Amino acid sequence: MSFDADVIIVGGGLSGLSAGITAVREGLNVILLERGEYSGVKNVSGGRMYVHALKRLIPDALERAPLERPITKETFEIFCDKNRKLTFSFEEKDKKNSFSVLRSKFDRWLASEAENLGLLISYSTLVLNAYREGEGITLETNRGTLKAPLIIDASGVTSVVFRLLGLRRFTPDKWMLGVKEIIKTDVNLPENEGEVRTIVGAIKGVKGGGFVYTNKDTLSVGMAVTFDSLPKSEFPAKDLVEAFRERIGIEGEILEYSAHAIPYYGFKNLPPLYDKNLIAVGDSAGFLINDGFTIRGMDLAIGSGMIAGLAAKKIVESRNFSNTEVYYEMLKDSFVLKHLELAYNRFELINSPSTLSTYPEILCNVLSDMFTVEENRDTLINDVLYRLKEKGIPLSQAVRDLWKTVK
Amino acid sequence: MENSKIVPLLKRLGLNTYNVDKKSHIEVNTDICINCKDKPCTVSCPAGTYEALPDGRIAVHYERCLECGGALVICPFGAIKFRFSEGGISYRYG
Repeated sequence: MSFDADVIIVGGGLSGLSAGITAVREGLNVILLERGEYSGVKNVSGGRMYVHALKRLIPDALERAPLERPITKETFEIFCDKNRKLTFSFEEKDKKNSFSVLRSKFDRWLASEAENLGLLISYSTLVLNAYREGEGITLETNRGTLKAPLIIDASGVTSVVFRLLGLRRFTPDKWMLGVKEIIKTDVNLPENEGEVRTIVGAIKGVKGGGFVYTNKDTLSVGMAVTFDSLPKSEFPAKDLVEAFRERIGIEGEILEYSAHAIPYYGFKNLPPLYDKNLIAVGDSAGFLINDGFTIRGMDLAIGSGMIAGLAAKKIVESRNFSNTEVYYEMLKDSFVLKHLELAYNRFELINSPSTLSTYPEILCNVLSDMFTVEENRDTLINDVLYRLKEKGIPLSQAVRDLWKTVK
Repeated sequence: MENSKIVPLLKRLGLNTYNVDKKSHIEVNTDICINCKDKPCTVSCPAGTYEALPDGRIAVHYERCLECGGALVICPFGAIKFRFSEGGISYRYG
């Protein structure tokens, strides 16, 4: 049987383009299918990229890529009840480890980089069906049928190829809905500074949080919450970002309203990452980290894409297309799976029902007690124990959870 | 909960650029919806694509779709059949 390419990549976002760039550099014959008219047109992110992986992919990217602002300030805000709020900020000027980014612009740039390197991208090409045939996988698209012995599924959280082959079972507790607005505003910061605000508890009922990222001359304002918590939300999904924006007091002209599903599996619940003739990268592989400090998927997308490109070279050379485990072996040695594993304790803790609702409330109660002077006053530890007990959390559990946050 | 300061959904969707397909990319088996009391799809879709009708069925406003992919997980009874649209939304910022 004849194939159309050594490798077909489905999806021209960060993971697909990184796989394509790497595979082309390795001399493979690659076709990339992108359903949008151009790369980025269908893509939405919260909007912050940790650039270590990008610099590996394109060494001079920081000078050339259309990034918005370096993030030099981290602010965490926790809304408690009774009009109380806890805020924590950390500033590190001149830091260039992460940048705010707008994906329509960024992905289009990365695609042009890929095309300059010789990657063939077929735009407006939508995969409608996938099945195994002969020694490979056949993809039916709106522009005809394509076959390859190796497919890299870079189609995002909906993992179209894995899904069509029956290799995915999605549930609403393992996906988050991201909703976002781009707000036109005067950003009163020097151009080498930017802020990320992570906000918890502003909207009741939902599991997740909100964010505000500073772009060049706009703000990305949004929320990410698990799908299974939406029916319990104060506001329906369609009004979530507006309610959040109103509650945190951000005003300005809305330039765009967007939404995107986000994988929220965690290291121990990842879906199958590979199958015969098939590899998953980026969101399609469920690669997202939330360790309480960093929330990230884009560097994992670029990193896993690059590894997939290198693995593809090995697989093509071996002519053994059913042995895609080589990709998994390489992933295990990389920052991608190592960081996912490192983050798991806090991921699990953040994911447990009490963490984002009960603990902030306890913290606010204790702070309120300490900042209040009456005749009755107790030691800090006695107050903490009392406030824990009041919420039904045994000290042993609090210590265990605290241990998880540092381990 | 009502909140008067909220910019209505349709006004926000109107800011986006769409190239709407002639045919819906979302199919709902509304025979299933008749027996669904809570109708989670009506509160879980960020584009308000699913509207409950008086007869208990669901109307699908597929032209509003923001292509988040959530349709694949929001119906506990598997009544929604979703694929991505050929045209659909174009994000200018993303």
